[in-house]
Amino acid sequence: MIQETMAASETGVAMNSTFWTATAVFLGVYALIVTEKVHKTIVALLGAGLMLVLKILDQHEAFHLEEFGVDWNVIFLLISMMTIINLMRPTGLFEYIAIRSAKLGRGEPMRIIVIFSLVTAVLSALLDNVTTVLLIAPVTLFIADALEVDAVPFLIAEALASNVGGTATLIGDPPNIMIASKASLDFMAFIYHLAPAIVVIMVIFLLLLKVLFGKKLVAREDRKQRVLEMDEHEAIKDPVMVKKSLFVLAFVMVGFVLHGMLHFEPATVALFGAGILLFLSGTHEPHHILAEVEWPTIFFFMGLFIIVGGVVKVGLIKWMSIKMLAITQGNMFETSMLLMWFSAFASAFVDNIPYVATMNPLVVDMAHQLWPNLQGLQLLHAPALMPVWWSLALGSCLGGNGTAIGASANVIVVGMSERAGQRISFMKFFAYGMPVMILTVLLATVYVWLRYYVLKI
Amino acid sequence: MKTVREIMEPVTTWLLPTDTLAEAVRKMRTTLRKPPNVYGVKGMVVVDTQGTLVGIVSVKDILRAIMPSYMELAEVGGMTWPGMFEEMAQRVKDKPVSEIMHGSPVYVSPDATLMECAELIVKKNLWRLPVLEDEKLIGIVYARDLHYAIATELFGET
Repeated sequence: MIQETMAASETGVAMNSTFWTATAVFLGVYALIVTEKVHKTIVALLGAGLMLVLKILDQHEAFHLEEFGVDWNVIFLLISMMTIINLMRPTGLFEYIAIRSAKLGRGEPMRIIVIFSLVTAVLSALLDNVTTVLLIAPVTLFIADALEVDAVPFLIAEALASNVGGTATLIGDPPNIMIASKASLDFMAFIYHLAPAIVVIMVIFLLLLKVLFGKKLVAREDRKQRVLEMDEHEAIKDPVMVKKSLFVLAFVMVGFVLHGMLHFEPATVALFGAGILLFLSGTHEPHHILAEVEWPTIFFFMGLFIIVGGVVKVGLIKWMSIKMLAITQGNMFETSMLLMWFSAFASAFVDNIPYVATMNPLVVDMAHQLWPNLQGLQLLHAPALMPVWWSLALGSCLGGNGTAIGASANVIVVGMSERAGQRISFMKFFAYGMPVMILTVLLATVYVWLRYYVLKI
Repeated sequence: MKTVREIMEPVTTWLLPTDTLAEAVRKMRTTLRKPPNVYGVKGMVVVDTQGTLVGIVSVKDILRAIMPSYMELAEVGGMTWPGMFEEMAQRVKDKPVSEIMHGSPVYVSPDATLMECAELIVKKNLWRLPVLEDEKLIGIVYARDLHYAIATELFGET
């Protein structure tokens, strides 16, 4: 009892039995997710159920309050973008783009790896990373077969490129979607603050590919010919739907660019786009398209929001933010750097979705401690806080490159490669991923330091 | 009214899980199918050395093994190069049957009704049902056996 009171007086957090119960559920969920003994979605839903049954949160808080519950902005943005992609996938557009890219590389493996990485990065910035690699990796394996070259360098390069490219925009990677919603940051803010860093990082990454894989990739002339003879127009299955979906995608992109100005949330833009494309597709069986939404991921998000809501409510997150401030003593540059590097290494080993779900309220709590007089957007967009948000985004997105389990895109690429008979071991991925992660986070560090603490622009 | 026991055919040939894909193709091509006394069967049961049924392999399973896994995920069929099919067949020829077979196949008991067999064949898109009694493989019911039973009922064909 004495201890409890002491702890409470130090941090203002009441460390009572509810606090410890919520903390135990939270840590248990994290441990189970890391060990992968039970599917992460099941863990998240079970944990969320526990938070409710144990009355740490009530149902109203979990379902209707942004502070403690499900962030429907994130959920609907994800569902809507997935629906749009599901409608686009069967048209053959992505196969067309991939074959076209391979031909643009004149069948030269090193050129193709650079072009594929670039295409993957751009697509990952506009769509989500998982979708992008799901679309591009099968065609990559096909091209590698045609060229009779090792597909592994291509696949690793694409996984890495998707995580780099996804960092550039609000919709590119789930951490950004979550940060955008929590911090009320719009699409153009991400473009303005993150895209320049990613352009620089991407250029260096592409140069690095030559160093990493250059010597290994040589194809015979007659094999290159096979690629050059492919007719990419064969890939287009539904030209009318290609036009419709490109129109809607362009409409959605314009909507994202303007959403801040027009005072629409990104989820509104995406939901409207999904509705239009579903309507234009003329389908009478939307259940097929909707069934292909990655519901396990969606429910994973929902569960996590509730679990994190529980530990926010009992004050664990506040306690963590106080401890973090104690380390950096309120120095914002040190806070940004600590957050970026800690996020990078954490995201390399832990799923970055639960990580960012936890860190988001932590950053807000930290801001509360620093500027107790500020409220709402004034607090979230406090000039000194902005680089912290960008550091969190850069660290947790780029950190995904560190290991084969660091990002969903990596997991998918490794799985696909294994099915094709070319195993990418954890160590093999690590040998390329970790150096690339450290290099890219280093570049991001220089960027944040130079832009926000030296040039202050 | 007939049961499975009356219409099933005896098991005369089978594959071992350790056979290679090439051996499976050879066995299937050289097995005499009767009637109508031509060589080549479209499927075979896989039985281990203890005589236990462990799987079933059809021509489609062999085609699936030859088709690279990425073709299930991307539609690149229209862009494949001449000779790819033969190249892929060479690539997978040493794969063991255990990797390409359908494990835990659907089976029936000898006392099952023909209606039950028809249901399984239609719903699960099968052509043959192994018949198991006390976990021992004692025969196979083919779709053609059911077809023959229909002919017997309608026209008295024997």
